[in-house]
Amino acid sequence: MATSALRLDNVDAFYGDSHVLQNVSFELGEARMLGLLGRNGAGKSTCMNVGMGLLAARRGEVSVFGEKVTRLSPEMIAARGVALVPQGRRIFRSLTVRENLIVAGRKPDAGSNHAPWTIDTVFGMFPRLKERTAQMAAHLSGGEQQMLAIGRALMGNPRVLLMDEPSEGLAPQIVAEVMATIRKLKESGLSIILVEQNPNLVFDVADDIVILNTGGVAVVSTPAALRQDDALLRQHLGVF
Amino acid sequence: MNFWLVLTVNSVTFGGLLFLLASGFSLIFGLMRIPNLTHGSLFMLGAYIGGSIVIGLFGFKMNFWLAAVLAALTVAALGALIERFLLRQLPGDQLAQVLVTLGISFMAADFCLMVWGGDPMSVTTPEGLGGFARIGGAVFPLYRLAIIAIAVVVAIALWLLLDRTRLGAMIRAGVDDPDMARVVGIRVSQLFTIVFALGAGLAAFAGIIGGPILSVYPGLDQDMLPLALLVVIIGGAGSLLGSFVGSILVGFIYNFGQALLPELAYFVLFLPMLLVLLLRPQGLFGRHVP
Repeated sequence: MATSALRLDNVDAFYGDSHVLQNVSFELGEARMLGLLGRNGAGKSTCMNVGMGLLAARRGEVSVFGEKVTRLSPEMIAARGVALVPQGRRIFRSLTVRENLIVAGRKPDAGSNHAPWTIDTVFGMFPRLKERTAQMAAHLSGGEQQMLAIGRALMGNPRVLLMDEPSEGLAPQIVAEVMATIRKLKESGLSIILVEQNPNLVFDVADDIVILNTGGVAVVSTPAALRQDDALLRQHLGVF
Repeated sequence: MNFWLVLTVNSVTFGGLLFLLASGFSLIFGLMRIPNLTHGSLFMLGAYIGGSIVIGLFGFKMNFWLAAVLAALTVAALGALIERFLLRQLPGDQLAQVLVTLGISFMAADFCLMVWGGDPMSVTTPEGLGGFARIGGAVFPLYRLAIIAIAVVVAIALWLLLDRTRLGAMIRAGVDDPDMARVVGIRVSQLFTIVFALGAGLAAFAGIIGGPILSVYPGLDQDMLPLALLVVIIGGAGSLLGSFVGSILVGFIYNFGQALLPELAYFVLFLPMLLVLLLRPQGLFGRHVP
């Protein structure tokens, strides 16, 4: 079995008294992409928040490349090579595009064999951001904000990238651009969890699929197998 | 004519002092969401410590400016300790933070009373600035003009720090979205200590700089704290420009109110706060926090 980049073991998480994740276990293999699917409220974003340390698991363990990070703060988890592209993008609105990238800059881990991400390489991937380098992030279009959120995550030179609904609220053409970027990132060897509502987007790029339903893992499978199983998708996602 | 000019200069001077006090208060509230009710005490402590050094109360004497820097550094260190060992234990609990900072302000007031007694301490104007400047037909105290210059220099320095450095961008990111700042690896807790110490140091610096015109007395803390609150509510928490504009506005309202409508001075002073809270609760330059 290859090393797991990120692993959740029997995780229970709560928002107040609300039990939102129940005994959730799955793992993201190194240099693989895991598609995390589920209806609204199934617990997808909560998994991302637990993985990033924004929400503490009340039970169970979270580990990154074999190291337990369950009780660590987000900044300590970021220092271990995990980055989040959050739902709703959450770019720093009162900072310029350049500042959004600068504040997230972190040197790659020693021994990393990937070329490090810098402002120049991020601008190389998203030339439109370069044109708007001095612009306040609040004034960017939705697509540009998404590119900035991805660029900001890459500036941390992560080994694991958590992407929470990067296509949300974007025009179809921009979604295609974002998905092309995600494909490139996967090819670069990053381990990625891609959370989406739309299974078709995920099936095209992911290696493995986990479907959540009402806070628990309902299905662990592959895109190829799931494409053949409309009944299962209808049962858990209400589509097809 | 002279009366209006002098009143205007006094207003800008007082606004400058308020800016030194309130910019730190605003940054602390904007970044940490802590309503720091010790801020008036930090101002008063700075004034007492600096004033004591200037007159040699503790057995050593320094010139005014060195005393001001030493007082600011001492109070900044105290601020860092308060943040690290008290406020950090109460993350997100605003009621507890209000009570703790209020408690510390009472303790500081008692401490000052014990050490410096109940008589006002007068701080002499720094050497070379005791005279007057004649501009046009009017005469202005040099020291008041110096305070305006100091406030402008500090405003520019703070602007450069916040707007032109990575540390400043990190602080603004923390004000914008503290959780996301942590997600991108910013050690927000360290920023909290730096900002709290900076705010405390600035308040103390304002205290000693204001000493020659306000003098130092028990109760100075409670006189200054509401004015800092007023500036932050009018200007908007976390906004440097808001602090600057708010301070100058409050400086004008305070001085003109006292001079023209002394019996309604506090009404005139707090009416704009009421209007801002009703019409634009985030302040003139603050960002709406949902």
